[in-house]
Amino acid sequence: MNFLAPAAAFLALTLPAIVALYFLRIRRPTRVVPALNLWPDQIRDRQANVPWQRLRFSWLLLLQLLAAAVLVAAAVQPVLSAGTSLARHSVVLLDVSASMQARDVQPSRLDEAKREIGGLIDQMGPQDRMTLVAVGSAPRIIASVVGDRDALHRAVSGIGAGNGPADLSAALALAAGLVRPGDDGQAYFFSDGIVGPIRTDSNSSLPFPVEYHRVGVSAENIGLTSLVVRTGAQSRAAYLHLQNFGQQARSFSLDWSADSKLVDVRQLTLAGGQAQDLVLPVPADATVVSAHIDAGDVFALDDTVTAVARTPSAFRVLLVTPGNVFLQQAISLRSDIQLDVVAPSAYKSSVPYAMSIFDRYSPPTLPNGPFIAIDPPAGSPLAGGPAIGIGRVRATDAGDPLLTNVDLSDVHIARSQDLRSDTFGRSLITSLQTPLVLVRDEPFRQALFGFDLHESDLPLRIAFPILVQNLSEWILPPSVPSHSFHPDEPVTIVPDTGATSVTVVRPDGSRRSLAGGAVATFGDTDLTGLYTVEQVVSGKTDRSWFTVNLFSDQISQLKPADRLTLPPFNNAAAVHAVHRGQLEIWPWIALAALGIVVLEWLAFHRGL
Amino acid sequence: MAALLDPPLLRRLEGLALQVRRAVSGQMGGERRSTARGRSVEFADFRSYSPGDDFRLIDWNAYARLDRFMLRLFVAEQELPLSIFVDLSGSMDWGRPNKAETAKRLAGAIAYVALAALDRVRLTVFAAGPTSGGAPYRGRRAVAELFSRLESFPVGGTTDYARLVWPVGKQRPGMTVLISDGLGESSIDPAIAALGRARQEGAVLQLLAPQEMAPDWTGDVRLRDSETGAEREFTSTPVTQASYLAALAQRTHDIERSAHRRGLRFVRLSTDQPIDDMVLRTLRRLGLLS
Repeated sequence: MNFLAPAAAFLALTLPAIVALYFLRIRRPTRVVPALNLWPDQIRDRQANVPWQRLRFSWLLLLQLLAAAVLVAAAVQPVLSAGTSLARHSVVLLDVSASMQARDVQPSRLDEAKREIGGLIDQMGPQDRMTLVAVGSAPRIIASVVGDRDALHRAVSGIGAGNGPADLSAALALAAGLVRPGDDGQAYFFSDGIVGPIRTDSNSSLPFPVEYHRVGVSAENIGLTSLVVRTGAQSRAAYLHLQNFGQQARSFSLDWSADSKLVDVRQLTLAGGQAQDLVLPVPADATVVSAHIDAGDVFALDDTVTAVARTPSAFRVLLVTPGNVFLQQAISLRSDIQLDVVAPSAYKSSVPYAMSIFDRYSPPTLPNGPFIAIDPPAGSPLAGGPAIGIGRVRATDAGDPLLTNVDLSDVHIARSQDLRSDTFGRSLITSLQTPLVLVRDEPFRQALFGFDLHESDLPLRIAFPILVQNLSEWILPPSVPSHSFHPDEPVTIVPDTGATSVTVVRPDGSRRSLAGGAVATFGDTDLTGLYTVEQVVSGKTDRSWFTVNLFSDQISQLKPADRLTLPPFNNAAAVHAVHRGQLEIWPWIALAALGIVVLEWLAFHRGL
Repeated sequence: MAALLDPPLLRRLEGLALQVRRAVSGQMGGERRSTARGRSVEFADFRSYSPGDDFRLIDWNAYARLDRFMLRLFVAEQELPLSIFVDLSGSMDWGRPNKAETAKRLAGAIAYVALAALDRVRLTVFAAGPTSGGAPYRGRRAVAELFSRLESFPVGGTTDYARLVWPVGKQRPGMTVLISDGLGESSIDPAIAALGRARQEGAVLQLLAPQEMAPDWTGDVRLRDSETGAEREFTSTPVTQASYLAALAQRTHDIERSAHRRGLRFVRLSTDQPIDDMVLRTLRRLGLLS
């Protein structure tokens, strides 16, 4: 048996103090009675103010001494060795992702995990420390190397579940940084196991072992996993995908609304594991449509989905070219682009365009805005050095988002301008001889191709339309993307030209102001539902919308994972000396003391 | 006289009389039926004529029928000898209202009822020993003197009931009223037993103060005996209060049982009961007065 607060033993001084009080005599007032022999011989000292008297036996004294002794025993907080093991530094990783909101265990998976963590905190010894990390879409340190159990309990109780996924890899990396080499550390991951893929890095291993504590039991859930509005030639329709992820058949009703007005109600029945696609009507003037099911399952986050029904406004793009069908086709793949193609001789700089593309042409004055220049002719301020032959083509940075899904392995280029000394911007695609494609962010997003597309087989490769699409979406992202995002996914908002203020109204009505006039990344997308972007242009407020929905089969499946594949534990990095956990018994001792005090109170009132 | 009892109370007391269960044996004529034969209107018995008898008592009708001289005997009416013993020990000098003062007033009221009925009243107060209240009082003219004497007695001292045995035992058969709180170191039983042996009928009236029947204090005190002055430390709690009340009830029960065993009436009175209510209601209900 150990004591968590041995210093409290000084409270034992109260015992002799109680005895000393019984040595004191009471200053008693004299009261004359007719017959003294009728009164029982009963003396009990309840207060003392005159020293001293002979100590007499008293049940009250005995009970008071016993109560004081038991209270002192409780104050030193004795603990017994528990059956579990606990490291000196415990790193507790708590999954706060959306799936932890499931109520298959009451009150929820998160609350169950918090309860288990509370038990772990109670087992901490006086020298033990704990670090709490909330594992959400971005890991968050709740408490860092804390030994105060009350503070840890408060920190745990203040944790709430988010709507996003759980990035365990980032959380483990963060936790690994908090444990010093050589520490006696152990990580405990409380989760349902529905986490993102673990990024494996052969060079990294964890400086502590990870113990996975699974919470959750059931996978019974019906979820809406997709809602898309398609505009056809004649009408618009919404395509809704829903699935019963459980094993039991369920009947439920589907409410279909447009702009918060009920459009349709359907009764549906899905067998266990069955999925169903529905085509739902979208009114012509609808801005937002939403679907809601009343399945009464254990997970509510995927029971309501929302989609923007209004067609986004199109960008006007100018292509100045003597003729380039490949480029024209690739640009036209974007549905929100209205392309104007003109010959170099017909180019007029006075017409404003959202983006201009100059193919083998350079205007006298470059537009003050986004553009793509391809093989600018000699004499142009964008032109590079004399053309040189090009060998192997490769990406400057394979991880560059602009080259996502762009395969350059079988692309060949005959020759290109020498852009080695060009200061246009950073290189995107390069070769052994010279950079081939340069991009820059300031003052506007612009790109420069040093070669003529016709002197390359790039337009014949699948990489070409993808590259053009990536570049156009980078240079000209949708002002407000109308498609659905996942919770906690950042949304890029490009303010309209002349916008003086940009405000995002979240589903709960809260407002977030963004800096007007600059491309902004909006990250407060933790709530599911409809987000309204309000832009004030010339005193007029324009509204556009985007939605955030769960739309995750992995999360809606809700099936707790029995095992997790985690990075290896580097045994050599830490001297792992596990000590026994501790079970506190002082609450029971304090309860016994309370009982003795009650007994003493009863004895006092019964005149013992 | 007015200081002890109010005139209105005295007027109401005049309508009362001591109620005896058997004939009395007084020394002087009075208004009570006597065990002796005498002159009254109440026929008692016949007996044969003996020379020397008053021939005016011969029943001539009986002589005509029986041809014998028969004397008609009548019940003699004599005074009722009433003895009042009043406890004026230290324990009686206690309570609100004071027990001794109440005892004096109660004794005065009973004595007044007797004197108004031409009964003879002997007064004795006692504490450590008996103190005679003087020669027996008789007639209304003695009321003022009795009251004055009653008021003049001091209060205090220990109670020794054993010393009541001799003055009680020497009494002629009659009525005795013993007024006491029944408390004290010694037992009252010998005195009550002496009353029985002396063929006294009457009553034992236990007079207590309300504060001793229901103590209104708690806490740590030093108790002092009102008679002996002995002291003892004491803590009053509900338990000790209950213990005291049980002892008091036992003492009262012992006195009541002792009185009833000797054919005496018993009642416990509280000093907060008005004196007229004690006399006109309680003692009438007890059968001591009628």
